[in-house]
Amino acid sequence: MKSVQFSVASRREGDAAIIYPKGYLNNLSGENLVIECGIYIGKGITKIVVNFSETDLINSIGISMLLQIIEDLKNIKGTICCTNMSKLLRDTFEMLGLMQHMLVFPVESDALTYLKTGKL
Amino acid sequence: MPFNAIPAEDFLNREPELNYLKGLSKLKANALGGDVFLDGARGMGKTELLKQLYRILFWENNVVPFYYSFKTANLKGTYFAQDYFTGFVRQYVSFVKKDPSLASHVAEPLQRLMPTISSLGLYWLIDCIEDFQGHVNKNDFYWQLVAAISAPVMAAQKMGKPVIVMLDDFDAAAHLYESSLGDAHGLISLFGESMRNRRCPHVITGSAGALESIFTDHSLIGMTERMRLGPLPEDLAVTLFRAHLTNLKITCAPGVQLEFLNILRGNPFYIKNLAKAAWKMQKNVINEKDLIECYSFEVSDGETAFYWASAFSRYVKNSAQRKAMLKLLMHAIENGGIEDGKRLSMVSGLGEAETETLLGALTTSGIIRAKDAVLQDFIHCLYMKEIEGRNANDAREKIEAKYIQKREESCFELVIPMSSNAELVVAKAVEQIGKNMNLDDEFLNYLQIALIEVCINAIEHSGSYEKKVFLKFITRPDKLEIIIENSGRPFSLESIKEVPVEEKMRLGMKRGWGYKLVHKIMDSVKVERVNDRTRVILTKNIDNGS
Ligand SMILES: Nc1ncnc2c1ncn2[C@@H]1O[C@H](COP(=O)(O)OP(=O)(O)OP(=O)(O)O)[C@@H](O)[C@H]1O
Ligand SMILES: [Mg+2]
Repeated sequence: MKSVQFSVASRREGDAAIIYPKGYLNNLSGENLVIECGIYIGKGITKIVVNFSETDLINSIGISMLLQIIEDLKNIKGTICCTNMSKLLRDTFEMLGLMQHMLVFPVESDALTYLKTGKL
Repeated sequence: MPFNAIPAEDFLNREPELNYLKGLSKLKANALGGDVFLDGARGMGKTELLKQLYRILFWENNVVPFYYSFKTANLKGTYFAQDYFTGFVRQYVSFVKKDPSLASHVAEPLQRLMPTISSLGLYWLIDCIEDFQGHVNKNDFYWQLVAAISAPVMAAQKMGKPVIVMLDDFDAAAHLYESSLGDAHGLISLFGESMRNRRCPHVITGSAGALESIFTDHSLIGMTERMRLGPLPEDLAVTLFRAHLTNLKITCAPGVQLEFLNILRGNPFYIKNLAKAAWKMQKNVINEKDLIECYSFEVSDGETAFYWASAFSRYVKNSAQRKAMLKLLMHAIENGGIEDGKRLSMVSGLGEAETETLLGALTTSGIIRAKDAVLQDFIHCLYMKEIEGRNANDAREKIEAKYIQKREESCFELVIPMSSNAELVVAKAVEQIGKNMNLDDEFLNYLQIALIEVCINAIEHSGSYEKKVFLKFITRPDKLEIIIENSGRPFSLESIKEVPVEEKMRLGMKRGWGYKLVHKIMDSVKVERVNDRTRVILTKNIDNGS
């Protein structure tokens, strides 16, 4: 457990946005994540990749913020892809029944290829 | 009697107290004090301290020691007067003659001492004895008592040498009676005159509760100060125990720390009894586990059990009362004390009035308040035998098992503020605890998640004013138990509804998932309400260190 102070970085790649949440994903940081995605959605982006490679710990409130993003994207027929998830993160999402509401890829490039080509 | 003190070199850790008591007669002469109430838990060494003081004063020859024990005294006034008076005369003569044996010949009538008394030139003492005999012959109850109680004062005045009066278990004096128990209240106040005398310092012992009620008699409060005998420090407790073992020709296995002795809380009586138990159980070499075995024997069938059983029998008249008392005491142990109210007669199975009386007696005796693990184990043992109908072996094994399990346990406690990210401190702590236990890293990560969930649930929803979460980690070879407590709004597992994710999204209900995770991660999750606190108990079974 490294417990880095939470921060969110992001970048655009073609018609997709990639979000990098870092550190402990809790209520505060979860809100930042929602805001960050909201900005892209506001700009008309419908494809979002969340790269969890630097997320070390999470709590259920933080995760529930993700639900908000899933819901927002659903409303605009968008897509959410999660990548670079640790086993812990995947298992936790699984336990909460979240996996079927998102696309999960081992690494970011896989997600981007899928979003470009529509192929898994 | 007072001469059976243990050797001075075996008497540990009471030097300051002894020195102070040695100086009492000077304090009293200068009206600076001089009467002491020696307070201390049962078996803490009050009587032994008096005996040591007695021996020192006896040989120093500046102050005359007089010791009287009310523990075994016959409290019928005339018997008591005779016993007290002859006891004093004997001890006085033995002091003057420097012959300890004179003090211990209790069966010998005073008449036989007369030649010795004459040869010592103590003619006033002969007058004193004759006066006392006169009161006896006239069957004058009151004057017999007064003459007996004032004998030390009389001696101090005649000889100019102070007499220190040691009244052991003095609270029993409150029960002095004329012809039947309870027929003469307040005879104890006859000691007031003696206590006020400037040449006679008094040292008294007895249960604090009982003496407090006696001391509402202002003539006795006088200049009495309280001296508290505390436990022997940990290292000396070990020294004492080892010394007893050596005397009994028992050795300790190499490397044995005797950690279990801590349960005796430095009480010399318990320490001695445990050593004797080892001897009775024919141990030649003992290790930590033997100690637990001997202890279980001791609280079930040993001298400690005998001591407490006879103390108990003073408070109950029949077996129904005895059972009721056990139930009340067990109730007090389980609930960390006793609350008022009608419910207690449901516990005791007796009527309200009778329960009240019993509780009163237990409170005065101090038994019910005592934070004494040994006493509690004795009570538990007796409860198992007399209320639950278990046999002695079974009860003993239960006690043994409890401590064997405890021995393998280690415990960490942590308090965090209800502030943001405080749960990360817990996550960090459990990581290290888990490493100490050789838990595997993956499981530790899950454990962190579970704990974070319980903590944030407390932080977010309890509405606690205390703003603290209390955590306790108990690790055993086969199990990890984590207890999380906080004050504030009650919370129960039933209150958390299982809501599917789809529903959550639709309703915007995004909270309350935490316990779903906790349930999946832990083997058991229990929630209890203890007073105003919510207590969550998480357990995880551990097999083969993973
Ligand atoms: N300081 C000490 N060092 C070594 N042994 C001690 C010490 N104090 C007491 N003991 C021993 O411990 C035992 C209990 O002591 P004692 O009978 O004096 O206790 P108490 O306080 O008078 O108990 P009670 O409340 O039953 O009257 C005795 O065997 C005594 O010799
Ligand atoms: Mg005593």
